[in-house]
Amino acid sequence: MPLFDSDFLKKLEYLSLISKRVFRGSLMAQRRTMQKGAGIEFADHREYTPGDDFRYLDWNLFARLDELLLKRFQEEEDLHVYFLLDASRSMAFGDPPKFDFARQVAAALAYIALADLDRIAVVAFANDIMADFPLTRGKGRILALLKFLEGLIPSGEDTSLERVATGFVHREQRRGLVVVLSDLYDTAGFERGLDILRHRRYEPHLVQIYDKYEKEPDGMLGDLEMWDVESGAARKVTVTEKNLRQYRLLFDDFQTSVQRYCNRYGLGCTRTSTEIPFDQLILRMMRQAGSVR
Amino acid sequence: MSLANPLALLWGLLIVPIVIFYILKIRLKRVPVSTVIFWRQIFDEKKPRSLWQKLRHLVSLLMQLALLLLLVAALAKPFFSSEVLEARRILLILDNSASMNATEVTPSRLARAKEEALRIIAGLHFQDEMAIVTGSAPPQVVCGLTGHQRTLRSAVENMGATDSPTQLTAAVALARNLAVATEEGAKHNRIVVISDGCGEGTAELARAADVALITVGHRSPNIAITRFQARRSTIDPIGYEILAEVANLSDEPAEDVRLAIALEGRTIDIKPLKLGPNGRWSEVIESTTADGGLLTAELVIKADKDFQPLVDSLAADNRASAVLPKREPVPVHMHSPHGNLFLQKVLEANPLVRLTTSKELPKQFASGTVTVFHRETPAQLPAGSVLVIDPTGDCDLWKVGNNLQNPIVTQQDRDSPLMAHVRLDNVILPEARKLTFVPSCKPQVLAGAVSGDPLFALIERPEGKVAVLTVNLDKGDLPFRTAFPIMAMNLFGFFTSNSGELREALPTGATAEVTLPASTAGVTTFSLRAPDGTTRKLPPGGVKTTVGPFDHCGVWAVVPDAPGAAALDEFAVNLMNKAESDLRPPEALPAPATAAEVGLAGGFLGGPAWWYLALAALVLLACEWYLYQRRWIS
Repeated sequence: MPLFDSDFLKKLEYLSLISKRVFRGSLMAQRRTMQKGAGIEFADHREYTPGDDFRYLDWNLFARLDELLLKRFQEEEDLHVYFLLDASRSMAFGDPPKFDFARQVAAALAYIALADLDRIAVVAFANDIMADFPLTRGKGRILALLKFLEGLIPSGEDTSLERVATGFVHREQRRGLVVVLSDLYDTAGFERGLDILRHRRYEPHLVQIYDKYEKEPDGMLGDLEMWDVESGAARKVTVTEKNLRQYRLLFDDFQTSVQRYCNRYGLGCTRTSTEIPFDQLILRMMRQAGSVR
Repeated sequence: MSLANPLALLWGLLIVPIVIFYILKIRLKRVPVSTVIFWRQIFDEKKPRSLWQKLRHLVSLLMQLALLLLLVAALAKPFFSSEVLEARRILLILDNSASMNATEVTPSRLARAKEEALRIIAGLHFQDEMAIVTGSAPPQVVCGLTGHQRTLRSAVENMGATDSPTQLTAAVALARNLAVATEEGAKHNRIVVISDGCGEGTAELARAADVALITVGHRSPNIAITRFQARRSTIDPIGYEILAEVANLSDEPAEDVRLAIALEGRTIDIKPLKLGPNGRWSEVIESTTADGGLLTAELVIKADKDFQPLVDSLAADNRASAVLPKREPVPVHMHSPHGNLFLQKVLEANPLVRLTTSKELPKQFASGTVTVFHRETPAQLPAGSVLVIDPTGDCDLWKVGNNLQNPIVTQQDRDSPLMAHVRLDNVILPEARKLTFVPSCKPQVLAGAVSGDPLFALIERPEGKVAVLTVNLDKGDLPFRTAFPIMAMNLFGFFTSNSGELREALPTGATAEVTLPASTAGVTTFSLRAPDGTTRKLPPGGVKTTVGPFDHCGVWAVVPDAPGAAALDEFAVNLMNKAESDLRPPEALPAPATAAEVGLAGGFLGGPAWWYLALAALVLLACEWYLYQRRWIS
């Protein structure tokens, strides 16, 4: 069954219409981007974090409140949307595979952006950047994008968001929204890569994808050989109920840490299971974007 | 030590596959995971540090091998020779007599006795054997010698209560017969009696060296109907007499006791009684009715406001019953050419007689009718019961001769029921007829003259009985004597076979003999129906058989095996046993002892070796499972 069939395209068109009717001015090109220094209209403040430009510090507030706050301005321009799509083997896990779900979400968001005259680019990554769909504009490019996405295979090993972000920011390109679609299973931690994007004035939006079996690994009791699909390493273990309880705690902690990181830096964050249809997820993201604005 | 089942050691070969599996290790199920980030945190937190943890696989193997060896050893059933030599043979006599139904202990003495018996069964050692014998009449072996505890428990639990008297002495004799003496085994035989001690011979049994007595219950007061019988009057055709006796078997007076007597539910008398300590009341109560049925007597122990009610712990002896035979009307036809008022009035005086008369000799006589011929007789006497008085003509049984002048009765058959309460001394019997009986006729002379001539005789024919009185009623003074109506009464009672009829109420434990008909309404099989409705099969009809023993109070009946069929015979069964009703054990009885006190109660030890081996294997299995669950093995 093809990943992007006619039904999928119908759903994309529907989502595009919805986005215009309900969330006009609140998404992508019709949204005012948070570009520091480039805007003229003051938006709000946020806490200073190391790496921010001192020029945007609100010294008056610092004098009055003794707190370092950064002024934020809104800039009206067409948006550059970059999709960093995790194509590691761990994304092939699940039913349906997380990678399929991620591609559908990426295609939907890209279609909405293209329909709103934004520019989009897609970068598939794992340990490093594996494939590129160059920056493009116009709704007519959607088929080329879908073909590119369909051609991707989740074959990468040892996800390293830091290396990918480093390679990504060193490109000659405009700043913009970076939608990271990944399970974030980076042994070195996902934070470093996102830090790099932030520091280079990109606006990261995390879409963390997990499978229901990852959240509730029922049936993993007893003696078994645990096989890591990403690294291919196997390990003989005995999983007890206690281990399962520990696993659930660690998984929940991980999820919480992702949300906490995004909250701390005002990043958009969508955590989702592959159980819900991708179009519902897009609608949810739209509502979130409207509500946070 | 020996092995009862050495072939079971072959199961030990299972060690080989266990070791092979340990060496080869079973291929584990492969489970893919998207990341091991979290699992690594879990499993790398506790790295094996101690030697014990490193050896856990080997420990697991050793534990499995030990488990297998224990199970194999258990299957081989090892035993020590001392177990055989010290085995006991316990003959348990469980008293289930009527007094064991006393309820002064909750729920009853029998239930307590069963609890003690179950404790003894639980305390049986490996190789011990036990047999269970009932202590009521007649003693029965309800479970032969066996060491199977479930069978013994089942026998005890299924042993029902009875109203039979205690027969502990006979039960002990039966138990001694069971205890087959062997050279080593004889000294291990133990006879254990569990009883309330009420009954004859208990004190002697308690002193016997080979008997251990366990007693249940304690002294308890009881008021009992100790006798209850009814019978038809020998004189009054519809009269009956009841003999009732009530005993206060306690050391306290019973001030307000009533004995209510009823016939088929209709109260006929209520006797208020006041009984002193160990007091007794007895009376013969007379009454009349032609109806028969079930007579019942019931003790009602009431409490006045001034007197506390006497606690009565035994219900079986508070009620008694007796069967009163019914009197059926007897059709009688009197033929007398000239009539005789005396004779007619005597016959009519009998309330059971339905009299018809004739002066012309009828051509036919109804069957089932008692026919009375006065003077005129047909040449051929009719079938059935016939009374001939003062015959003037010959018939097929005799020829009439000359008159006997003033004969005096010199011989009288005092044993005959026809002559009961009849005295013919000094009675003038003029013009009695001299009869010459035909040779085939064998008359029984009930009253004879000095000349040897019969004055009153009975002839048994195949067609029926014939009584002949040769006396001229018009000439003598016999009609004026009280002997005359008594003779008539005896005669009709004899003809109907129910004179002074007694249907004895039987005590529990008794048996009775019945003659079963070959067939009743086409039914040839019969059963004995107990008061609770249960039935016991009897031998096919046409034989005389013994029914019983009756082990419960109430009315037992012999019934054909057909739905709704009427009973052929009924037996009223009452406890009527003063020793059984007396719920006070003899003073000479030793202090109450329990199973534990006589060294028979169960302990944990004493089971067979295989049982402990299996238990150890179970414990080991639990340990292995615990260790496995605790992830000592990974």
